Amino acid sequence: MKPRIWLLISALLVMSLLMAGCAAEPAAPAAPAVGEAPPAEEPSAGLGDLPRHETLIVDILTGRVGTPDDFNEWVGWKWRDRGMQNLANEPLWSVDFATGKIIPGLAAGDPVYNDDFTALTIPLREGVTWDDGQPFTAADVVFTVETLKKHQGFNDHIFFGENVKSVTAVDDYTVAFELNAPNSRFHTRFLDRWGATWIMPKHIWESVEDPVTFKFNPFVGTGPYKLHSYDPSGFWTIWEKRADWDKSPTGIMFGEPKPKYIVFQYFANEGAKILAQLTHQADVVNVSSDGLKAVLAQCESCRAYRLEWPYVVNNDPAQTGITFNTARAPYDNREVRWALLLAIDIGEYMGMAVDGTGALSPVHIPSLSNYPDDFIKPMLPWLEEFTIDLGNGETFAPFDPNASQRVVEYAKSRGYKVPEDPEEQARLFGYGWYKYAPDVAEKLLVKNGFSKDGSGRWLLPDGTPWRIRCLTGTQLATGMGERNCVAAVQQWKNFGIDAEVYSSEATANLNAVGDFDVSSNWPAQEPWGAGPDLYRVLNHWKSEFVKPLGEVTSGHPSRWSSPEMDAVIEKLQNTDPTDYQATVDIGIEGLKIAVREMPGIPTFGYVGFIAWDQTYWTNWPGAENPYTQPYTHWGPFKYMTPFLQPTGAR
Amino acid sequence: MFLKRYLIPRLIQYVLVIVLGITAVFFIPRLLPNDPVLRTIAEMRARGAYLEPGAMDKIISDLQQMYGLEGSLWEQYLAFWGRLFRGDLGVSFFQFPTPVIDLIMTALPWTAGLLLTTTILGWVIGNLVGGFAGYYSNKQWSRVLDAIAMVVRPLPYYIFAFALLLIFAYYLRWFPISGGARLGMRPSWSWPFIQSVLWHSFLPAMSILVLSAAVWFQTMKLVVQNVNAESFVTYAKLSGVKEGRIVSRYVIRNALLPQITGLGLSLGLIFSGALITEIVYSYPGLGTLLYNAIINGDYNLIMGITVFSILAITTSVLIVDLIYPLFDPRIRYM
Amino acid sequence: MKLFRDLLRDYRFAFAFGVLCILVAFALLSFFSPYDPSRWGQVPRDLRPSAQHWLGTDSNGQDIFWTATFAVRNSLIIAVIAGVVSRIIAVIVGMVAGYKGGTWDRVLMFFSDSLLVIPLFLIIVMMAMLIRASLNLVTLGLLLAFFGWAWDARLIRSQILSLREREFTQTAILSGTGTFKLVMNEYMPYTTPLIFSTLINNMAWAIGLEITLAILGLLDLATPTLGTMLYWAINYQAILLGRWWWVMTPITLSVALFIALYWLSVSISEYLDPRTRVQRVGAG
Repeated sequence: MKPRIWLLISALLVMSLLMAGCAAEPAAPAAPAVGEAPPAEEPSAGLGDLPRHETLIVDILTGRVGTPDDFNEWVGWKWRDRGMQNLANEPLWSVDFATGKIIPGLAAGDPVYNDDFTALTIPLREGVTWDDGQPFTAADVVFTVETLKKHQGFNDHIFFGENVKSVTAVDDYTVAFELNAPNSRFHTRFLDRWGATWIMPKHIWESVEDPVTFKFNPFVGTGPYKLHSYDPSGFWTIWEKRADWDKSPTGIMFGEPKPKYIVFQYFANEGAKILAQLTHQADVVNVSSDGLKAVLAQCESCRAYRLEWPYVVNNDPAQTGITFNTARAPYDNREVRWALLLAIDIGEYMGMAVDGTGALSPVHIPSLSNYPDDFIKPMLPWLEEFTIDLGNGETFAPFDPNASQRVVEYAKSRGYKVPEDPEEQARLFGYGWYKYAPDVAEKLLVKNGFSKDGSGRWLLPDGTPWRIRCLTGTQLATGMGERNCVAAVQQWKNFGIDAEVYSSEATANLNAVGDFDVSSNWPAQEPWGAGPDLYRVLNHWKSEFVKPLGEVTSGHPSRWSSPEMDAVIEKLQNTDPTDYQATVDIGIEGLKIAVREMPGIPTFGYVGFIAWDQTYWTNWPGAENPYTQPYTHWGPFKYMTPFLQPTGAR
Repeated sequence: MFLKRYLIPRLIQYVLVIVLGITAVFFIPRLLPNDPVLRTIAEMRARGAYLEPGAMDKIISDLQQMYGLEGSLWEQYLAFWGRLFRGDLGVSFFQFPTPVIDLIMTALPWTAGLLLTTTILGWVIGNLVGGFAGYYSNKQWSRVLDAIAMVVRPLPYYIFAFALLLIFAYYLRWFPISGGARLGMRPSWSWPFIQSVLWHSFLPAMSILVLSAAVWFQTMKLVVQNVNAESFVTYAKLSGVKEGRIVSRYVIRNALLPQITGLGLSLGLIFSGALITEIVYSYPGLGTLLYNAIINGDYNLIMGITVFSILAITTSVLIVDLIYPLFDPRIRYM
Repeated sequence: MKLFRDLLRDYRFAFAFGVLCILVAFALLSFFSPYDPSRWGQVPRDLRPSAQHWLGTDSNGQDIFWTATFAVRNSLIIAVIAGVVSRIIAVIVGMVAGYKGGTWDRVLMFFSDSLLVIPLFLIIVMMAMLIRASLNLVTLGLLLAFFGWAWDARLIRSQILSLREREFTQTAILSGTGTFKLVMNEYMPYTTPLIFSTLINNMAWAIGLEITLAILGLLDLATPTLGTMLYWAINYQAILLGRWWWVMTPITLSVALFIALYWLSVSISEYLDPRTRVQRVGAG
């Protein structure tokens, strides 16, 4: 009897090996698909063959690549930050939020619109070639737009179908568009702000039968790097510097990229990511607040964006905060929304949310890039005069220009070394926010029929207990949206409201169909992060996009709109975005309406945490030398590569 | 007689259970508030794609068409069975347009290799050691092992696995910190690759092995202690049968029977993957694939993996049931 | 009472019982907590253990000692609900299937077998997401109960099957005893040890599963449990930042809880019926 057991066990073991083997088979043939990368097919090719001192290793922000052999960025979601958008592709223009500039890539300059915005021409850069040596010309742009128009299934199919009447190549380096209707922001479809419409190499795509299912493997781009190899399981992608890097816009503008190879690697948990950096196996990692603390505490050669406290990247162009569902009572009442804002003690809030490291903004755009100078500072006098009506002839001016000082005090109480220079403080903590005025909040609520029960809990006008659930994602310890909900809930609890965090995997859907009271969705659509144009922010509040609850809204999840705002949006639409001052002025008009109506509470600018290891590479674009934006997952990472310096360490 | 009284009802049950299981897994994800179409749109928006607000309705209907989510739930359900019988699991929504089968086939070898080995080895080691420890339960070493198993088993797996990583990959640097093979290496049947895989799988395997062996050890030890008290063991002792023979032939063999069913069940569970192991060690496999599929409402992928998983469990339990009499002379199907 | 005294003679029982009493007392302390467990920032953050904060404080600004009292209480509540409810289902299903036999048996065992072969973790994860909006201690306990009875129902059924063949059943039936009375009077005493030992194992399983679900972030993370304490500690990188007092508290508590439950189960079942070969299913 006993031998039979052993027989069974060994049979099972053999079976397991066989199964592993058989199943491994289909994965292997994927290798030849990387036509451009014969060395990668050699089994010995590993980091052992990539000389460490010529290789830069960074982590993939959006996680393990689910479609490792598919580079067709134009269909679905393809993990483009694995190196596609940040190294191998050049867009027409890119946003650089650190310098506040728009960098022309494949384009040679700004688009030129006609007077009624129904036609435009785009000048293209000369001397650019694809990484297979073919020249880049206007024909590629024309081909791209026509292909996207033709095939259902492309992400931009509908956009180009509805907007473009015709596209033609005037000459090899000029493209002309005729539009179906006036659209002064048409060109922004090609402006890379973590995504844009990319140009296809015509000579490859024109012979493809079904461009929607085409895998575009290997990726052919105009960026300074080309595909070297990738993991069929999606854990890493390796890019190699082009021999003809001087034929890419990056090379033409900024010179030779320094790393020969750049590896994008995925770590499934933050702890392992940190351990990899501590052992110098990862040069750049995106971490959490506490992860950054752990790195800095244990790694001599590592640095953060700032050399001193608060270390973090606080110039990411997203304004975080709280969104109200204005289609649901009582959040349809702007005085209730204001009351909830005034119940927030922003000093405590910032401590709880991000340990005091973010920059406050009283308006619906973040305090970074050119925004403070163009928008926030000019708005300060208006903000100080702005009042809300408490009834009985009483008014209250909610703005507090010294609110940032409360965050400074919090940081000092934690023992952090806070810079004393007021200007530096303003840059770090913002130019003011709103007062902590629970008494005013109470008056506003009482005015609107709310009351308190015996134990100090707030009741709705109909006498039932007021319960707020703040809808947010699942990364409660690390996500910026989540941190806003967590902090807001604590503040509202202190104020006597039965508040709780509701974290869900389905946040996106619940926001879209309006199944929430309050959510940590950004309080306004993200701005471009550079330049004077707030069209992108304001347009999402257009009344025609608002749908009834239960249907997917096309605009902002707050479902707020007003005729006043519609008028501003229309005015902006008819303004040439290259007319700087006019565009700014209309933007300010829109922001004022948003402050008055407060469809969502803007709190602090997105806080990013990156750690750079300087063992192999130095001259990172830190706060003391912000020559470009600091992230490796943003498009302009390619413009950073010529400035990195190898240390020569092996 | 065997056929009619046992085999046929058992096979009918086998098929029914599979149908019921697959049906349940078809409907439950569709009850979740996670709609794959909205999820895709949200994903595109979150990743910077600026979708023209006015075009939203058109985009939604386009995506529904591409994902095959048109028609009533019932029509979709029938269509699903139709496709399944043709062997078509469809394409993944989240990894559009990659076929589900490709995704599973890339992940399966990693999971199968790791989990089949550790499940079987854990079972063998745990039961052998547990068997002897149960027989000699008064010995010092038996008590020490018992104490170790008792402390190891309740350790939260995540913490245990991360502690191994910290000690062996970071402080001692004996093993790599993450991944299934060396960075830059593509799967192939070459020795360097196999070597690299074994080296990378060592910590994940150990973490699973130790915990599962501890569980089998504890159950086996208890069962053996009970068998020990049975009359036939006492009888064997009295008749002067050698002790080693008593342990292996009488005690362990008898105690092993219920454990075999347990092995069948845990073998079947392999196809759900080892989610936490994959997270801690950044190991490729089915666990993360499945978990992300659930989070993203990727119905086709959820179905694809579960169909495999359900088939695996039911089949391995069926096989165990059918070969059971080989080990237990008291059971005959005749 | 005599039974209890006899049990106490077993050092394992005495020890486990002692530990469990301490843990229950610890959990009861939560009613006297000076802090509201859902409030953050009530104490300075990241303090080491001191006279003022016995087990230190965490990065959310909560006192770890008092949070842990809530955590043990809540984890025990989940475990007891899951254990007791699933025992009720298992006993009813097992007894009916075993005693009635025939179609009853086949149908009931078909359902329990189906539950056994569905990838349980997958279903529980999906169910947890499905009822996310109303997920609390009770609903989580019920969810685990609903999926935790199948194997034990099988065990109980097979024991009833063997009991049915015994003489006293025939005697009882011939003397006209009602089914319910027969089951309660004659079978219950025999199956109690089995039910009890599966109960304890099931509680351990529920606590372990709660920890896994919490680490994945699927539960209400504002409610302290052993699992959610670990979630926060892991996500705030307490291990790499050397905040050992924060990580070790839930680990130590859950190990103590497991060992106590395990020894209790072993010792009780051995005492009550040393001959029953109780198959103890893994809690893992």
